[in-house]
Amino acid sequence: MKKNHTWKRIVFYIALVAVWQAFDSANIWPDQVFPSPLEVGEDLVYSAADGSLFFGIGTSMWRLIVGLAIAIGGGMVLGIFMARVETINQTIGSLVLGLQSIPSVAWVPLAIIWFGLTDAGIIFVTAMGALFAVTINTYSGVKNIDPNFIAAARNMGAKGEQLITSVLIPAAFPYMISGFKQGWAFAWRGVIGAELLFSFLGLGFLLNVGRQLSDVSQVIAIMIVVMAIGILIDGFVFRRIENTVMSRWGLR
Amino acid sequence: MTKLEAKNIEKYFDHDGQKLQALGGIDLKVNDGDFVCLVGPSGCGKSTFLRIVAGLDRPDNGEILLDGKPVTETGPDRILVFQEGALFPWLKVIDNVEFGLKIAGIPKSERSEISKRYLDMMQLTRFAESYTYQLSTGMKQRVAIARALVLDPDVLLMDEPFAALDTQTRDLLLVEMQLIWERTKKTILFVTHNVAEAAMLGNRVAVFTNRPSTIKKEIVIDYRRPRISEDENLSKYQQQILAELRPEVKASE
Ligand SMILES: Nc1ncnc2c1ncn2[C@@H]1O[C@H](COP(=O)(O)OP(=O)(O)O)[C@@H](O)[C@H]1O
Ligand SMILES: [Mg+2]
Repeated sequence: MKKNHTWKRIVFYIALVAVWQAFDSANIWPDQVFPSPLEVGEDLVYSAADGSLFFGIGTSMWRLIVGLAIAIGGGMVLGIFMARVETINQTIGSLVLGLQSIPSVAWVPLAIIWFGLTDAGIIFVTAMGALFAVTINTYSGVKNIDPNFIAAARNMGAKGEQLITSVLIPAAFPYMISGFKQGWAFAWRGVIGAELLFSFLGLGFLLNVGRQLSDVSQVIAIMIVVMAIGILIDGFVFRRIENTVMSRWGLR
Repeated sequence: MTKLEAKNIEKYFDHDGQKLQALGGIDLKVNDGDFVCLVGPSGCGKSTFLRIVAGLDRPDNGEILLDGKPVTETGPDRILVFQEGALFPWLKVIDNVEFGLKIAGIPKSERSEISKRYLDMMQLTRFAESYTYQLSTGMKQRVAIARALVLDPDVLLMDEPFAALDTQTRDLLLVEMQLIWERTKKTILFVTHNVAEAAMLGNRVAVFTNRPSTIKKEIVIDYRRPRISEDENLSKYQQQILAELRPEVKASE
């Protein structure tokens, strides 16, 4: 079943590259507009060989991790307070819903005014992109905790901070992990988008350089890298955690 | 000696803007080391009463006395075992059992020593490292009981803990529960809607009336232990309980 799946995928991607090659061979568009798979591949190999690709990935990832960590920390605190304190939910909660609808790149102008063209600015955009997804999922997670978990814990003497760390957070974790996953996806879009506009190191910057040099193979090569990292992190980090959590929490 | 006393416990709930009186003044005295079963029609307020005794809910009137002193907050001196166990799925069995000890700040070595004793008593040692999703319903209830016992509560409160079990598992646990009670000498308040269960476990069975509920009658069951479900002499007590219960169930329908 699973194997069958993998095979279908491999065949699909081979076919995709073949079609791509066929279009290229047909010479409909010039090479500066529509590169061949080989040219894109070469570009990937060169940029890997001179280290610029890995430096770009490293820079973007570092910004992403810092931004996402801030979003996760802040989002958990906000979400827990929204779920447990009705006044906070009625006030800040409504604002959070509004802020969530702002696309992360829309924070770029503010980031530039506040932080200038710095790492901090990009991290700000990344964090703001992910913050509200984490907040809202944490909120739902805490709201949906089986009330008997909380009753049992209080009965056994847990209160305050202990109740939060030993019951609220782990009990809400299945929701939180979806929040982290969504937050990561927003953060990844946010960091690439911000780097494009800030134009200062990272994968988004490399995309922009590709455009400025009219180097279409570099543009496509970087896009493939952005996509690949997206798939890898989602599949290897988040899906794994999610699977473990779901089965352990008895949710499937 | 009276361990626990409920004095005129009343409780109201809001139901679509209407006031619904669940408890109409419960008076109950429980002696130290007694095993008291509470039976009553479904929805009459048995769970509500246990939650109030546990300090998880406030009564609208009346008070709970433990050793003669009023108790209002919840705490490990009155531990409630829930029907579904309310075990924490993110913890292994052993960590579930040690939860209350950890909260109380008891050091690791001492915790292990205590939990080992109760895991052993509940025949859970093999499952210490399992997660709860790997356990059967019966095993889960054993964990829930062990988790309560490690805290050495003055009063053990049990809310239909065996209601979801199959008959064989339940019969087994009903016998074990009596052995545990004899071994630990705990004061137990045990809610059930199962008359046979009440007759097997209780020294006394308190029958609740329909809402707003009060205690209609207390039936003393002075009979040798451990009682087993096949024992036909118990049917006499079951009939006695049923005679009190049946009109209340009718009234509640
Ligand atoms: N938190 C609550 N809010 C509103 N009504 C409640 C609440 N808890 C219990 N009730 C009502 O109080 C009555 C008694 O409930 P409960 O104590 O669960 O009964 P029992 O355990 O005897 O079946 C029921 O009618 C129930 O609907
Ligand atoms: Mg109940």
